[in-house]
Amino acid sequence: MRTELLLPGVALAVAVVLAALGVMVVTAQGPAVLVKFVNGDLPVDPASPAWPKPVVVPLTSQILVYPLPPAVENRTVSVAAVYNGTHIAFLLEWRDDTEDVARPGGLDVFPDAVAVQFPVSRAQLPYICMGTVDNPVNIIYWRAGVGVQNLVAGAGYGLSPQQREALGLQATPTSPVELLPESAQVVQAYAVYRNDTWYVVFVRPLGSVHPLMASLSGDFSAAFAVWEGSKGERGGLKATSSWVQFRLEKPTAAPPPTPAVTTVTQTLAQVVETTPTWAWAVIGVLVALLAVMAGLALRRG
Amino acid sequence: MNVRAQISMAMNLDKCIGCHTCSVTCKNVWTNRAGAEYMWWNNVETRPGPGYPRQWENQDRYNGGWAIDGGKLKLRIEIKRDYKPPGLDDYYQPWTYDYDVLFSEKQTDQQPVARPISLIDGQPMDVAYGPNWNDDLAGTDLLLEDPNLDPVQRSIYAQFKDVFMMYLPRICNHCLNPSCLAACPRKAIYKREEDGIVLVDQSRCRGYRFCVAACPYKKVYYNWKTGRSEKCIFCYPRIEAGQPTVCSLTCVGKIRYIGVLLYDADKVLDVAAEPDPTRLVRRFIDEVLLDPFDPNVVSAARSAGIPDDWITAARRSPVYKMVKRWQVAFPLHPEFRTLPMVFYVPPLSPVVTAFEQTYGAKITDVFPRVSELRIPVKYLASMFTAGDTALVEQALKKLIAVRIYERSKNVAEPGLADRARQALAEAGLTEQDAEEMYRLFAIARYEDRFVIPTNPKRYANQPQVQRGVAGLP
Repeated sequence: MRTELLLPGVALAVAVVLAALGVMVVTAQGPAVLVKFVNGDLPVDPASPAWPKPVVVPLTSQILVYPLPPAVENRTVSVAAVYNGTHIAFLLEWRDDTEDVARPGGLDVFPDAVAVQFPVSRAQLPYICMGTVDNPVNIIYWRAGVGVQNLVAGAGYGLSPQQREALGLQATPTSPVELLPESAQVVQAYAVYRNDTWYVVFVRPLGSVHPLMASLSGDFSAAFAVWEGSKGERGGLKATSSWVQFRLEKPTAAPPPTPAVTTVTQTLAQVVETTPTWAWAVIGVLVALLAVMAGLALRRG
Repeated sequence: MNVRAQISMAMNLDKCIGCHTCSVTCKNVWTNRAGAEYMWWNNVETRPGPGYPRQWENQDRYNGGWAIDGGKLKLRIEIKRDYKPPGLDDYYQPWTYDYDVLFSEKQTDQQPVARPISLIDGQPMDVAYGPNWNDDLAGTDLLLEDPNLDPVQRSIYAQFKDVFMMYLPRICNHCLNPSCLAACPRKAIYKREEDGIVLVDQSRCRGYRFCVAACPYKKVYYNWKTGRSEKCIFCYPRIEAGQPTVCSLTCVGKIRYIGVLLYDADKVLDVAAEPDPTRLVRRFIDEVLLDPFDPNVVSAARSAGIPDDWITAARRSPVYKMVKRWQVAFPLHPEFRTLPMVFYVPPLSPVVTAFEQTYGAKITDVFPRVSELRIPVKYLASMFTAGDTALVEQALKKLIAVRIYERSKNVAEPGLADRARQALAEAGLTEQDAEEMYRLFAIARYEDRFVIPTNPKRYANQPQVQRGVAGLP
């Protein structure tokens, strides 16, 4: 009986304390990372001397939703970042004793994986657990043997089908985490597994190429998650960090060209897919008018 | 009472000839694709045997289904915090043969041999296990892996004269309390409101495989090519049009029956959490499944929006007759607590009088008594009633009584008619029941085996919501 009361009691106490500290918990900041400026090409080799000394970011268990991983978590991920005016590169290193890579027929293989999330909006830090409807996050998700994806989380259910179509998303959301359209798949990943450690480099444009992709052309925040495949980690079974502050180092050498505004070139198919219904109605009316006029001209002739 | 309708299946195992036509036609229609090589949405197992995937019934190994933990119904994967799905070796390494060599080989003293090659990477491989391995090439050692055999039976089984076998065709059970659905953190699995078919939404699935681990029947499969999980869809495009599933249509032995069952959704969780597993089947049949002739059920069904043609179909349903009225068909492994909606009529064993002298079988009549059947009732009870042997016995008694009754109509043997009447009385059947059972089990026509109302589409999504998902933008 006593133990039955004890648990809810403890939970209540924790909830009260958390509520009191609410603001502090949500906005608590980890260590800051200085994004070094480099002239010219960004390093894609983790061993490159261009990388600054990585900052160690502690990770904790995801403790909100099923399936819950074990509560004790002592993994860390080390983070370094550089930028060159048009692009930014991240180096993520974390220890993992087994190399788990997705392969054909690997039914019970869960690939090692890592993810970085950025707030889409700079106004306020989003909810750390993959954003909310009104404050989404942009996620770079890499899995060994699968590749890298540029995702958005949280936005789906806050937009109308028309807005979603205009953003190149499926009219009805299927998941809180969604793949951004093909035109926004602009992240490159380079991965090395060496000495029981994963080294993964992400390179992406500094600016944004999609309204739901974060622009990193000023100081920004990011959070990290790591999955260890050999322990069957996938989905909610993961280790996550709190928000980490990133500051862009001032360019030291010759001022680089101002951050290029990336133009999005649309293919015909994209134009067709993203043109709203009212535009089609207008086009239809115009075609009908043309047909009527042609008919009249023919009759007159 | 919260009445729902489900399209369900019953299989009369007595008539299964183990031809695997169901599996092959299912494969050709649904899983003849890259990433799905090892999948058999429908498979047939020769039992006793370890099955596919190997020893799938052993939940100490796979953690499938539900268990009672602290008085509550919980997923085994959660209780054990072990979310691991089976690997390809647990199913089998899918293979074909290098047939090309038969045509391209240069003439030598030896016959060219088509060696097994992996369907996944095309490399030569040794075949070590298959989807019905114990019947193919493996031998007795593997049979004894069957989790339904207790140690005593294992030793009995080793005696040749007491050997027994049966076929067990398996599809997804489209359960009332599906553990795959409960295990999915993405809510990608759903049970259709209109007909109870359980589906994996391919656009929501993220390939986490919690469902694969949680299904006790291992009937959700991970497609390594698409990175998503998939399963038997009860051929819903056919069912919606009133057509039987491919496995049922092509069944050579005509063992499969499809019909509507009405059930009380409010009772599902209560019955699934029944503490005594041996009471599960009785409570399932009595409390969850409903009688479509009961006026209260009919009015509740109508107010729940079930159309009249579905209620009529529920009354004609062969599955209703077998499961609820005659109680001769049972769910597979009810102790997994998912309340499966595919039912099995347990097999009578072959009539073995002729072998009495040869093998010393203890036979007292043309039709043996239930206790003298070759397949131990305990084995069947372990498979279909969570150990309730009385249920299996009364079902077998009914099946034998119908046979004695039919024989008495055709064979002029003194006293046979009396014995038939006695057998029917003992089994609790009337002559009319026996006639009807005989017609349904032995000589049923297509329209009696498959009573499938067409899909009312009453829950279909609004077209404007679907806009952009299918068809024009």
